[in-house]
Amino acid sequence: MGDVRMRWLRSLALALALICVTAAAPAGAAQKWGIDGEMVAQFEATVVDLLCELRGDCPAACGGGSRQLGLVRDDGTLLLAVKSNTLFAGATMDLLPYCGQRVEVDGLIISHPAMVIYMLQRLRKPGATDWVRATAFAEDWKQRNGAEDAKRWFRRDDKANEVIRTFGKVGRPDIMPPPAD
Amino acid sequence: MPRLARLFLFALMLSLAAAPGARAGEIKRVTVEGELIDTWCYVTEIMYARGSAHFQCAVWCAVGGIPVSIRADDGTLYVVLRVEDDSRNVSNPAMIRIQSHRVTVDGDLIERDGVKYLLVTQVADDQGIVDLTHVKYGIQPWGM
Repeated sequence: MGDVRMRWLRSLALALALICVTAAAPAGAAQKWGIDGEMVAQFEATVVDLLCELRGDCPAACGGGSRQLGLVRDDGTLLLAVKSNTLFAGATMDLLPYCGQRVEVDGLIISHPAMVIYMLQRLRKPGATDWVRATAFAEDWKQRNGAEDAKRWFRRDDKANEVIRTFGKVGRPDIMPPPAD
Repeated sequence: MPRLARLFLFALMLSLAAAPGARAGEIKRVTVEGELIDTWCYVTEIMYARGSAHFQCAVWCAVGGIPVSIRADDGTLYVVLRVEDDSRNVSNPAMIRIQSHRVTVDGDLIERDGVKYLLVTQVADDQGIVDLTHVKYGIQPWGM
């Protein structure tokens, strides 16, 4: 029982932390998440389609949202853009309008022993005054689904729900997980 | 610049130029065995991100377009950019359905700037989800 209660408390704490981090408007620089190896990083870079950059496989318009995108910095370093400001969503839709172009980004570089990644929090055209929050996935999701908002989009998404209905929450239809306490 | 400093700088540049994987490196044929994971949750360690405990969250993240990686048993991560002829690596339906599965794949490995990118040429084996971590960790991140 103690284990279950601790698990529930940890889950609640994480949920509150996620809500606080994502709800806070980025008035200044990028927000830290308290992740090991994180570093606030604001810089200009060129947006590239990773398969194009690495293998010369270059469809029009960076694949129109079907390809992972990266940032090539002025020293030639390629950064993998993994995450945006929308919960459970990547940065492709935010960076796509800048395919092959320069962009100024603000976010977190996260260095892990296994790899270095970038979390995009806001971006703008170089020289522009106003920043745009990196929430393009949410906007796109609303349009695609005819929804008024994208709150808890992951619980309302047809594609995700179909997979979870088919395989269960633990991915094994033969296993029924214990109910949440 | 003193001669010694010039020599040191030259040697440093030479060693950097010779360092493998610093820029778009050569392509290596590899076989990788490991678990399909969500790159964000695993790298940031914001929650327990392996096995059945993380299946639902990994599905959400893959649908949301976060890159999918394979975590090999030694902890090495390989970002999957292509599976056979399918180069859709954002929210790819086939990839979403096999989150948290243990797979063996053959592919082309490209290393650049500290990231290993994998272009899978063949999925040799798919064992499904074998790491039943939900028994210990519940369902991540919120227990439901």
